[in-house]
Amino acid sequence: MRQKINLSNLIKGIVVQFGFVIAAICISYSSISEWEPREHWGVLFTYTLLTIFSCFSPVRISNTILTVNNAVIFSGILLYGVWVGVWTALIESIIIAFLGRIHPLKAAFNIGQLLMTIWVVATLNEWINSFGTISPIISDIFLAVVYWFVNLMLCGLGISYFYQNSWIQTVKAMAKGFTSTYLLLMILAGVGARLVETYGPLTLIPMMIAFYTISHVFHHYYENLQRLQQKVEEVKSFNHNFLTAMAASIDARDHYTSGHSQRVAHWGKEIAVEIGLPADKVEEVYVGGILHDIGKIGIADEILNKKGKLTPEEYDKIKQHTVIGYEIILQAGMFHELLPAIRSHHERMDGRGYPDGLKGDEIPLIARILAISDSFDAMVADRPYRKGLPVEEALQEIRRGAGTQFDPELASHFVAIVERLPREELQRIIGQESNPKKQLQEANS
Amino acid sequence: MLLDVICLSFIVALIRGGRIKEFPKFKKVVLLVITIVLQVCAAFFPTVGGIFISIAYVFILAFLICNREFEDMRIFLIGWFLNAIAIWTNNGKMPIDLEQAKKLPYDLEPVINGTNFKHSVLTESSNLPFLTDVIYMPLIIPRVISIGDIFIMLGAFLLVQRLMNKPISLLQLHEGKRYATKN
Repeated sequence: MRQKINLSNLIKGIVVQFGFVIAAICISYSSISEWEPREHWGVLFTYTLLTIFSCFSPVRISNTILTVNNAVIFSGILLYGVWVGVWTALIESIIIAFLGRIHPLKAAFNIGQLLMTIWVVATLNEWINSFGTISPIISDIFLAVVYWFVNLMLCGLGISYFYQNSWIQTVKAMAKGFTSTYLLLMILAGVGARLVETYGPLTLIPMMIAFYTISHVFHHYYENLQRLQQKVEEVKSFNHNFLTAMAASIDARDHYTSGHSQRVAHWGKEIAVEIGLPADKVEEVYVGGILHDIGKIGIADEILNKKGKLTPEEYDKIKQHTVIGYEIILQAGMFHELLPAIRSHHERMDGRGYPDGLKGDEIPLIARILAISDSFDAMVADRPYRKGLPVEEALQEIRRGAGTQFDPELASHFVAIVERLPREELQRIIGQESNPKKQLQEANS
Repeated sequence: MLLDVICLSFIVALIRGGRIKEFPKFKKVVLLVITIVLQVCAAFFPTVGGIFISIAYVFILAFLICNREFEDMRIFLIGWFLNAIAIWTNNGKMPIDLEQAKKLPYDLEPVINGTNFKHSVLTESSNLPFLTDVIYMPLIIPRVISIGDIFIMLGAFLLVQRLMNKPISLLQLHEGKRYATKN
């Protein structure tokens, strides 16, 4: 497998480092003779000005920045042929190379892919023109798509080589990012080229204004979008903070379980990662851990902090904390996805748990995860009136409860996680005291 | 040369609310002095002027590279680099297109005779003609310019903006940010 990856990367390396550079040199060299005739100088001059203009009026879309250079190059190919495209691409590369600090290999690759794209599109254009029967408007659209496609494939090849990714995935990610805007600019360039052909170079003025306006509109649009996203994030993080602070205050109130919620969240997260849940689900489990005992806020202090055995009535009241927590979260309007987890984290696989007596798969996955981490922490944590159980004994209890109290599969994963940890690390996690500030930071990260 | 461009740049900078604060400190100004000395030498010995001009371009490029931390210097570098290629490949003189030059109110006799130390006549045998002085620019002072001169003018404009404490960053523009780096 590894050898296969190395081999494909080696081939990519040869193509990108040598193939592209050689292609760039050949294509540029073949264009020089086209630049020499007197009647072409005006065109080269105009396209130099256009390149300078387009280099510094990029169109910004969500996370990438598109320069309109490709559109300028495309119009050059349609109006005059490959030599204008090559000239524009070279001038653009010179500007960028001189202006920024650029990796020479990447710069060479970039000019190579650009020139190859130009060459393919120009050749195709000539071939289509040789029929003389296809309307230029239709062929322009087709060529715009070809330009986009070739450019995308070649760029993807280079990027996948430099960043050691898969070619197809890189291309997919890039295509998702900017296809629509890219094609819009290319088609506008095609229309602009035909207008210039019919009405002369003065058409450039409205075209440039149109380009500038588009870039301005996009800029505003994405700026507002970003601002909105930021606001949503702020509101979200405020809610997180609020509920997490509440959870921390429970820990602070219940002297027996200082730092308990944080540790339950930690173990829950470890299990979720171990069984391969996606990142957003892992996050859910973590927040669920932080909030699972939030209902204890509604339990009287003397019951919560009672030393010694609880009476059955008192125990019934303690059991209420799952339902109280459920209702608090329901009213908070946040974390609705955690509702079942908070309600059901004291359910048992055999149906003898509370509050609803759910059985087996009826218990939500997050609740099953939290049940294990909750029990484990309750067993190993030190209490003011007793020392915590040794880890081995607690794990033995978990093993014994697998199938009756706990989900057997999750239990075996959990035992594996704990046994894998180095002893000091384990002691550090178990001995962790409540630290609301850190808890907040972790919940927000 | 470039007086009109510089004046225009000053006017633009004044409109943008700029004013001269301090003169920028350039490094290795001695290179610039050498360049001027070499050009004067070329004027005195027009027959071997090409050699002096070719060497002068090496020094001016070196000067610009030393000062490349400023963006306007990098734009100058593009312009002088393109012009240097044209001059080095044409025996140290910048070929000028007579067809365009005839529109200018100057006496072209020295150029045609070969006694002008800086310019020669553009012919079929000139190399890279598209990089030489071939574009007639009617405004503001009429002149014939090369592609490289476009960048030199842009660089001069940017330099004046920076001088007037209203710098424009092309790099920021290229990255889709606001052009002003600082006030």
